[in-house]
Amino acid sequence: MELEVLSLFLQQGIASGLVTGSIYALLALAIVIVFRTTDVANFAEGEVYMASAYLAFFLIAIVSMPFWIAVPATVFAVLIGASLFQRVVLTQVAAAKGVSVNLVIATLGLSYVLKGIVRATGFGDTPRSFPSVMGEGSVTLGSASLTYLDLTILGAALAIMAVFFWMFNYTKIGRAMRAVGMNRRASQLVGINLGHVQMLVWGLSGAISAVAAILIAPKLLMTADMGVVVTLAFAAAIIGGFTSLPGAVVGGFIIGITENLVGLFVSSRAINVAPFVVIMLVLIFMPQGLFGGKVRVRKV
Amino acid sequence: MADLIELVEVSASYGRIEALSGVSLKVSEGKVVALLGANGAGKSTTLNVISGIVPATKGDIRFRGKSIRRLGSDKIVGAGISQVPEGREVFRDMSVHENLLIGAQLRNDRAGIERDIEIMAGHFPVLSKRFKQMAGTMSGGEQQMLLIARALMARPKLLMLDEPSLGLSPLLVQQIFDIIVKLHREEKLTLLIVEQNAAVALAVSDYAYILENGEIAVEGRSADLAHDDSVRNAYLGT
Ligand SMILES: Nc1ncnc2c1ncn2[C@@H]1O[C@H](COP(=O)(O)OP(=O)(O)O)[C@@H](O)[C@H]1O
Ligand SMILES: [Mg+2]
Repeated sequence: MELEVLSLFLQQGIASGLVTGSIYALLALAIVIVFRTTDVANFAEGEVYMASAYLAFFLIAIVSMPFWIAVPATVFAVLIGASLFQRVVLTQVAAAKGVSVNLVIATLGLSYVLKGIVRATGFGDTPRSFPSVMGEGSVTLGSASLTYLDLTILGAALAIMAVFFWMFNYTKIGRAMRAVGMNRRASQLVGINLGHVQMLVWGLSGAISAVAAILIAPKLLMTADMGVVVTLAFAAAIIGGFTSLPGAVVGGFIIGITENLVGLFVSSRAINVAPFVVIMLVLIFMPQGLFGGKVRVRKV
Repeated sequence: MADLIELVEVSASYGRIEALSGVSLKVSEGKVVALLGANGAGKSTTLNVISGIVPATKGDIRFRGKSIRRLGSDKIVGAGISQVPEGREVFRDMSVHENLLIGAQLRNDRAGIERDIEIMAGHFPVLSKRFKQMAGTMSGGEQQMLLIARALMARPKLLMLDEPSLGLSPLLVQQIFDIIVKLHREEKLTLLIVEQNAAVALAVSDYAYILENGEIAVEGRSADLAHDDSVRNAYLGT
């Protein structure tokens, strides 16, 4: 390969990888905050993402709601839905038999329900294209080129992450979320309402998933199975150590960039395998993930 | 003086195991009360029932005459009851400063919170030098002091301490109890102290209860219990 082509591929791979990676990063954040504060690996994450895209599609294309109303309406609806799922279903399951496997099964149940609903409406029967409000056109950065839509996705995702990190690290409610992630009992003893924090975290996770879905949907053909990309968000979360928020973001970008580089340099057929090779390498050389921290020995 | 907190025939259980059966005790405002007993007697359970972390299956818990039995743990902290738990439960990955801030999670008076952090730095000089350090990296004694300071940040009327001396050197135990007694004197703080170290606890308290298998076996003025030979032989292991 000539040097010029090599450099072009490299730059384009990284640029496109940042765009798709930012979506994996958002979804990985949604998975990690829920896991940290409620100990549940949310196996319905993919379907929350999928259902959010369909809800936005329904509001815009069928109800003819203006885009600027449909987007916040979707995000808000998913926020409420996810909060209620935690409040109504998960607390009941936990109270009935506090085994964490049951909680995971409850999330699997949610994933079937959401898929079922989308299938029942008939919208999921044929692939749909999500309307884009971005104008056509692209920008050249170095020798890489990104469309306006790509730049919007990356910019919006980074902005959401920045706001989220600020909230998590510098506000009172963010401090409560971190506390619940570290020590439930101590959190209760300082007066944190565990139920409220956990419900809020599920709601936020839903809202972030909805934003990710709305951002990326115009680049995809929507189907009821589009939630499978969340496998890659789980991969990102694992690479980052599964409890680290910066880890989830870095993991997301690593997966996105790897996919794109492999697609350009190796073959598009190798794209699906690439993230799992990355996971294996990370787990072999850094079993705690990149940001997982050290194994803790409890002092007695 | 008026009772600040009163437990009336309180029972509690973990699944089928009954940990408390009909425990009655009270702490009057401004007093120091010790709750003693062997390992597994139900001391921590008693504190956790008061804190609303373990539900009472029977009986009632009254704080300033009002039942708090059905309140959530956050409401109980808000009402003025804080617990210093056993087992060094600091927020390990937060700085010392943030651990203090989170102790004031239910308060909104910024200036007051800042002032109280200064006050804590005065009470616990070891903490003031380590505000930026992660709590989990501190020694056992420092973590214990941080836990007490964290609980005080909520400005409680009743402070409950669960085995503050556990695992600490005699010198540190002395230091911690000196601070506790000072707080009691200066801030008129009412204290309920759980201890296995009966000698220390009886020395600082006005009144004491001894728990045995989830029931109050003996109660009386601390000075009397400390000198009662049968009590000393049967419960205090001295
Ligand atoms: N989380 C729990 N689950 C089940 N049993 C418990 C739990 N905590 C305490 N117990 C049991 O309840 C009894 C009282 O325990 P505890 O209140 O911790 O005693 P103490 O603090 O006096 O050592 C013990 O028999 C103990 O084994
Ligand atoms: Mg105990």
